[in-house]
Amino acid sequence: MYVAVKGGERAINNAHKLLAEQRRGDKDIAEIETDQIEQQLSLSVTRVMAEGSLYDRDLAALAIKQGRGDLIEAIFLMRAYRTTLPRFAFSKPIKTAEMDVSRRISATFKDLPGGQILGPTFDYTHRLLDFTLMANGEAPTEAPSGEQPVDENMPRVLDDILNYEGLIQDEPVPVDENAPVADLTREPVKFPAGRDLRLQNLSRGDEGFVLALGYSTQRGYANSHAFVGEIRYGTVSVEIEPEELGFAIDIGDIELTECETVNKFKGSKTKLPQFTRGYGLVFGQNERKAISMALVDRAMRANEMGEQIMGPAQDSQFVMEHSDNVQSTGFVEHIKLPHYVDFQGELELVRRMRAEVEERLAKSEAENGTSQPEAAE
Amino acid sequence: MTLQSQTSDLLPGFDHAAFDSNAVFRALLDAMSRPGRIYDLPVNVAAPDGLNEAATAALLAMADMDTTVWLAPSCATKSACDHLKFHCGCPISTDVKQADFAVARISDDLSFITDLAVGNAEYPDQSATLILMVDEISDRPSMTLSGPGIKDTHSLAIKDLPASFHAWRAENHHLFPCGVDVIFASPTQIAALSRTTRIEVN
Amino acid sequence: MEQTVKNPADGAPDYNFAYLDEQTKRMIRRALLKAVAIPGYQVPFAGREMPMPYGWGTGGVQVTAAVIGPNDTLKVIDQGADDTTNAVSIRQFFAKTAQVATTEKTAEASIIQTRHRIPEKELREDQVLVYQVPIPEPLRFLEPRETETRKMHALEEYGLMHVKLYEDIARHGHIATTYAYPVMVDDRYVMDPSPTPKFDNPKMNDMAALQLFGAGREKRIYALPPYTKVKSLDFEDHPFEVQTWEDECGMCGARDSYLDEVILDDQGNRMFVCSDTDYCAERQDAGHRGPQHHDQPLGTADRGKAAE
Repeated sequence: MYVAVKGGERAINNAHKLLAEQRRGDKDIAEIETDQIEQQLSLSVTRVMAEGSLYDRDLAALAIKQGRGDLIEAIFLMRAYRTTLPRFAFSKPIKTAEMDVSRRISATFKDLPGGQILGPTFDYTHRLLDFTLMANGEAPTEAPSGEQPVDENMPRVLDDILNYEGLIQDEPVPVDENAPVADLTREPVKFPAGRDLRLQNLSRGDEGFVLALGYSTQRGYANSHAFVGEIRYGTVSVEIEPEELGFAIDIGDIELTECETVNKFKGSKTKLPQFTRGYGLVFGQNERKAISMALVDRAMRANEMGEQIMGPAQDSQFVMEHSDNVQSTGFVEHIKLPHYVDFQGELELVRRMRAEVEERLAKSEAENGTSQPEAAE
Repeated sequence: MTLQSQTSDLLPGFDHAAFDSNAVFRALLDAMSRPGRIYDLPVNVAAPDGLNEAATAALLAMADMDTTVWLAPSCATKSACDHLKFHCGCPISTDVKQADFAVARISDDLSFITDLAVGNAEYPDQSATLILMVDEISDRPSMTLSGPGIKDTHSLAIKDLPASFHAWRAENHHLFPCGVDVIFASPTQIAALSRTTRIEVN
Repeated sequence: MEQTVKNPADGAPDYNFAYLDEQTKRMIRRALLKAVAIPGYQVPFAGREMPMPYGWGTGGVQVTAAVIGPNDTLKVIDQGADDTTNAVSIRQFFAKTAQVATTEKTAEASIIQTRHRIPEKELREDQVLVYQVPIPEPLRFLEPRETETRKMHALEEYGLMHVKLYEDIARHGHIATTYAYPVMVDDRYVMDPSPTPKFDNPKMNDMAALQLFGAGREKRIYALPPYTKVKSLDFEDHPFEVQTWEDECGMCGARDSYLDEVILDDQGNRMFVCSDTDYCAERQDAGHRGPQHHDQPLGTADRGKAAE
């Protein structure tokens, strides 16, 4: 007797219960607290904030816990929450030149005003598993503070040093800092997209995708050889200017990594050669993402620079339409949803076409005494 | 100018933001989907001086900070502007070319309508919607409508609709897929003409 | 004053009626009005992230959320069925966030959200059919660039689509498209009907109900007003035709509905049942019986039929 399969409410509710049970794991092990995640998995937290486009460390920690450590799931949770939040105001442009710097390095100058500040970095660690962490070793000894405070005058390499000589393409700050900036979460994207939209798209784009594209530009799928002019990581304050007040107020600090690359120069017989730029900006400390973003930003400026399109990273339509991991994961995974109605149509067609070929074969066999396997041609 | 003095003479907007805007939108959606069919305004709403009830309801339901509204001089009273700014938060422009929604009375000089945005071949949706306030909408057969949304034909009559409107409308229909869509708003009823609608004037 | 609904998950944050905030609804509603005014044209809209994944019907959910009111009765189907997991999940979502009545009966619904099917029962003027659309652009597989396909629609340049369909005929003797079969709307726009089987295409033509299409990930909305001419693309020498079955529904005996194939065992035995569960149930309630209905004695003849 045939009974139709019911994918009813009970099955869904039970699946959710099982999921929650698996998330909790062995109950003999202490449950992880969101403040532990927030403090000790801080790079996951900032990635989730960056790609979730929502700066809230506590919510990101909660999303990571709820998503069982699957960061794309956590990013999705953040995005779905973000979409319900009303907009109160738009911030003034942040000023990274006034960043309270924790780390600042330049690959283009050995020494420079403000100095190279190494700060917290994995860069020179030896990647040896530290088994004392597994044994819940003691708290690390406190890092010594510098003998002198960080120089307050920390000019940006590209704007204040290279531009001084006119060696780098000028990127004028908009005269009106209240000029509208595009927001792809509020209006549909139209192509070709302006740089503001492209940068927003990259900043919340999937880290792995942006990384792979950045990498591809270094291997010949674009040609915009890049130097890291500067990376700085630290906190900047965010200001809004409510209509009724008429002056700006500080609403808090955010942690950012900014990367500016100095790229292949251009010029002509009549125009002085100049370096060009790529720009990356991302929540938290994430130099991998910031550098990749700057590489891809520069690659996507191919049209503006009159360069030949040689690789996917230069194709802003391709990049922008595939960078979002919440969109990608949804559509890739959706093919596990039922498609049996469509598949039935395909089954019917393939069977019919096979029957027709078989019929033709049988007919020609009867006429010629030989079989001509058309299908094998 | 303080907020206090501005709000004191303000009329209320919708009683229930979610439900009333939904009801008004559904009437507009039905009207635009079935050009020429007449729908009663489903909510009670106070109209400021310069606007009628149905036009006010349509704007409360559809306009916000992302849409630019243009009001014909006869409608652009201080109370109408204050009402829309307060309840919709929409920018009100004096440049008719910028309008997402343009509002006028049928007795107004309608020469502005040729300046309304019609969209372009790639984005025909980037066009204006004209809300025309009228005294009376009926299904007397002064116009015979056909096209998408209409089974066979619909009859529609708009009191005092000038001949110039028909001339413009014929041209507008010819621009398809570009064009302006029209919402007729009497105090208690609405009807629409989509850009696809073919009109025969009887 | 916005009507809010307690988040049933934890009772903590409140969400607006039908989940979306009023501003988002207005944005979608404006796109919908344009969509009905330009039948078959894909209106870009600023689709929002929804609490279900892209690909699970976020476009349809956003359209439904913008359209649904407190007096509506909602039916949700996936593959024609009300009881598939995703249909259940979306129905629950609206039952919670909008507290609307839900139904499995096509005739009782004022809004029907669907994935991959159009109900067999003829829809009425007072009903709205909302389709979930994965790829709204019918030309996408011929030309991946949005800038190019937009131009093709603007210029009504659909030659490429006809060439593709004709190549199918040359290669297979058939147009090899069985679902998402492109249609021409009101003699102007080529439109993707969403991945419904081409069996359903004729139902779109001159339908009394309003048809709305939402593509969340691709951020497009389009529509067919009632009584709009919708023609499946074809050729004079290869006219459009729909799927037919030699079998009938094993449960209700229908021969006019779209049938799903059910594998009964690993011996090649199978049977067919209506994909539209409400249609099938209604027929069974009216006393119609197919050969595999449990009211029927399961004789050897039935098994033999199923094993064909």
